[in-house]
Amino acid sequence: MVSSGLSGTSNVALRDDELQRIVEHLGREPSKVELHAFDAQWSEHCSYKSSRHHLKRLPTSGGRVVLGPGEDAGILHLGVHDGERYAIVVAHESHNHPSQVVPFEGAATGIGGIVRDVLCMGAEVVGVADPLRFGTVDDLDSHQASVALGVVDGIGAYGNAIGVPNIAGDVYFDCGFDENALVNVVALGVVKENDIIHSYVPKGADGWSIVLVGKATDPSGFGGASFSSLTLNAEDAELNKGAVQVPDPFLKNVLMRASYRVFALLRGLKITAAFKDLGAGGIMGCSAEITAQGGYGAEIDLDRVNVAVDGMTPEVVAVGETQERLLWVLPPEIVPEVLRIYNEVFTLPEVAYNARATVIGHVTERRRYVMRHRGAVVMDVHSEFLTGGIRDELPYTEVIHHGVAREELPAVDVERLFPQILAHRDVCSREPLYRRYDGVVRGATVLVRGRADAGVLAPIPGSRLGVALAVAGNPRYGRIDPGYAAEHAVLEAMRRVVAVGAKPIGLTDCLNFGNPRKPDQYGEFVAAVEGLARAGTALDLPFASGNVSFYNETPSGSAIPPSPIVACVGAVEDVVKIVSPGFRAPGSALLWIGSRELVVGGSVLAELLGVEGSLPKLSFSAERAAVAIVHDALARGVLRSCRAIRDGGMLTAVARLAFDAMLSGRTIGAEIDFGNPLCEAGGFVCEVSDESGIDLTGALRIGETTDRSELVVNAVRFEIAKLFDIWSRPLAELYP
Amino acid sequence: MSGRIAVLVFPGTNSEDETVRLLRDCGGDAELVHWSEAQHLAEYDAFVLSGGFAYEDRVRAGAIAAHDRMMDHVVAAAAKGKPVFGICNGAQILLEAGLVPGTGPTRKPTAAFTKNAPEPHFVCRHVHLKLAVEPSRSAITAALPPGTLVPAWAAHVEGRLAATQEHLDEIVAGDHLAFVYAHPDGRVDAAAIPNGSALGCAGLVNRAGNVLAIMPHPERDGWNFNHLERREGNDALAPSGGASIFRSFVQAVA
Repeated sequence: MVSSGLSGTSNVALRDDELQRIVEHLGREPSKVELHAFDAQWSEHCSYKSSRHHLKRLPTSGGRVVLGPGEDAGILHLGVHDGERYAIVVAHESHNHPSQVVPFEGAATGIGGIVRDVLCMGAEVVGVADPLRFGTVDDLDSHQASVALGVVDGIGAYGNAIGVPNIAGDVYFDCGFDENALVNVVALGVVKENDIIHSYVPKGADGWSIVLVGKATDPSGFGGASFSSLTLNAEDAELNKGAVQVPDPFLKNVLMRASYRVFALLRGLKITAAFKDLGAGGIMGCSAEITAQGGYGAEIDLDRVNVAVDGMTPEVVAVGETQERLLWVLPPEIVPEVLRIYNEVFTLPEVAYNARATVIGHVTERRRYVMRHRGAVVMDVHSEFLTGGIRDELPYTEVIHHGVAREELPAVDVERLFPQILAHRDVCSREPLYRRYDGVVRGATVLVRGRADAGVLAPIPGSRLGVALAVAGNPRYGRIDPGYAAEHAVLEAMRRVVAVGAKPIGLTDCLNFGNPRKPDQYGEFVAAVEGLARAGTALDLPFASGNVSFYNETPSGSAIPPSPIVACVGAVEDVVKIVSPGFRAPGSALLWIGSRELVVGGSVLAELLGVEGSLPKLSFSAERAAVAIVHDALARGVLRSCRAIRDGGMLTAVARLAFDAMLSGRTIGAEIDFGNPLCEAGGFVCEVSDESGIDLTGALRIGETTDRSELVVNAVRFEIAKLFDIWSRPLAELYP
Repeated sequence: MSGRIAVLVFPGTNSEDETVRLLRDCGGDAELVHWSEAQHLAEYDAFVLSGGFAYEDRVRAGAIAAHDRMMDHVVAAAAKGKPVFGICNGAQILLEAGLVPGTGPTRKPTAAFTKNAPEPHFVCRHVHLKLAVEPSRSAITAALPPGTLVPAWAAHVEGRLAATQEHLDEIVAGDHLAFVYAHPDGRVDAAAIPNGSALGCAGLVNRAGNVLAIMPHPERDGWNFNHLERREGNDALAPSGGASIFRSFVQAVA
């Protein structure tokens, strides 16, 4: 008989109607362990209860998709090397709430978690990216500045120690994030398609061993899943700190390498096993899902869990979210060798206190999820009921497209405004930030972060195949129109990958929004999903994985700017053919390829001028044509350099090409003649050696490169070195 | 017939795979030796300590690893004149073990690579190492041209050489300053130093010349695909750039 735990409901987020459903299903009151188990499993964080039915609209199959959303990470086909099919594993998550409360640890565990999501697919982790959204940091002593600093140092400390390079990311500073910073993380892995390990037990797994691996379970991170599904409240700050996990990248470094050794063992013996990251819901969430999704149940003995302190209550051991843990389900005959690899070869117990691999239970044919503690059954529920269907059909207000009347462009004083744009917090150099990240460990980096629009790796030893990664999501756009912002995020991430010469093969998304129980904020989410679906479908770019973060609002009820953030993965057949950074030669034609609708809405220029306007109009067919032109110019060998046009407008893209040339020791400037060079309408700036073969219906000649160290724009002269100085300094104050 | 090279893996090492790969691509017979397999180290002719955060950089980077069982073998091998090459965390370990500059007793360091200055943060920056001794001063640099520049990435929190003035003088007088930081054109000045390192030091060698410690990572700039703009030939996979010092090391082992 399972004893009731209902007296302990004060610190769970389950609603009364949900509790009622549980009581009805069980035919009794839930135990304390069950109560916390349902609290975690039915949280927004785990169940996607108010987002899943909308997310179904996203294109998630076809093309290069090897595995779409549903497991811990998605998988995209990269290419063939040495007769083997290789794939890129990609995962994308938020760690917003923890990072707001404890910036360093919250962001570090964000990297830790996303890396495990990729690792557990049987992949070697090869790169990470970090889209960040911070509040205003003008006052370096402000809380916002300390969050911005702590987050970056947390990301760096973790990624650097485990030896995974940071190759892409972006950052915006906006008062809309003053009380809810966004910390999104993306990780990439590489796996042979034959060697993928799934997050569910295979057929015939009855009686298999459930093996917990990693850090000793401790009381940290208890209630993390439901904490992430609540609005942050300042009075609860101290309480919430206990819900944030403690990172241990040193242990993770060893855990990753030991797991690679186990992968090789299983490959050699042709054993199909299941492997899954412990995230939300801890041991319970992970072991319940990994078995239930294979159609099985599980019996777990909580007394066999390696713990850091004695006397923890069973619910803390069961659902606490201690970091650096993974779960294997293995045929019993291989278990001794797996334990030996973790515990003796890689000496986990010596690396961290009581860390180890240990058998904690087994798979059962009977589809019950059962936990025992000191001989007593403390949980006994139907696996499907625990891990399956929960859905909230919430009402939402449809977002009205903000049709701003077509504004007259103000006369733009380029001489005055362009330096201001380059110094703008959302345009200036990010180097002071990302130089705290190791961008080159693993020795596979082809294009480091910041030198081009996307990071590029040659991730497979001995292979010329490359993978490109870029992220996008402009909060100024989100504020004007979440649906259009989502489309623009897809386009910008795609363009950035194209600009380095890669072929875009798939997307991931992280949807950061306010409170889904407020119809207007929920409506913004729905509009963004629709936008992502439109763009992904029109561009034939599937979403391989994704994540939703709700409740990014303050107690006063103000939500963050709608923030659909997108990452795009690109494939490169031979890395030697990528587009190298910066202008290559004087006397080249400069073309603007793609959309160039001259509106200012959502631009840095609009902010500086204090004007409002519509977002640039989108034409997916024109976008596809522009990408085709760039790829064609590259294939014919006439494309010398290229940048996507984004924040700061066309002229910023031109300046970046000149800066990159300068950094490579080439003195090449440009002369530009174009009405408003500060518009952010999109498209590409391309330097071409010969424009004769280019379809000029989709391209406009805007100028040419010169052998002088200056940019001449509509007869206004700028010295490139001076512009570089203006652009490179601002963030160095925050990140000295 | 080339000798066997062991690339040591301590708990926390993170650059072992690319280090082994570049050694092999440069003709070396290299393999990983793990901390729980220390007993096998006796079978090797040369040793490479790669980058990372061995033992979490507790106390000071390299301080704990210098006392690992694996280092007993390395200390003994170094005394016999076998080549020992430390990169980044490996360099920190060699200093903490007292093997470089080697002017004091074993495991009583006379100098350390410690917290960067003026900002005590991790820094990831492309740099050039300039050979500051005669190539023949160290077996490991013997195949490099005099004054050569080796492109590499500095990526560390603790890369600043620190020592008392007396010990710094010893380093200079004993010709231990193997590499200094330089600009791409070979100029040497404060702006080329990414971490405030004393003497602009990027690398140190022991008295006998068989033990070399360098802070930046040449193996992260060691193939054409790492630096397509400076590539030698059109094969993305060909070793180049930072591979020069790996080639020279492999020759010392042969």
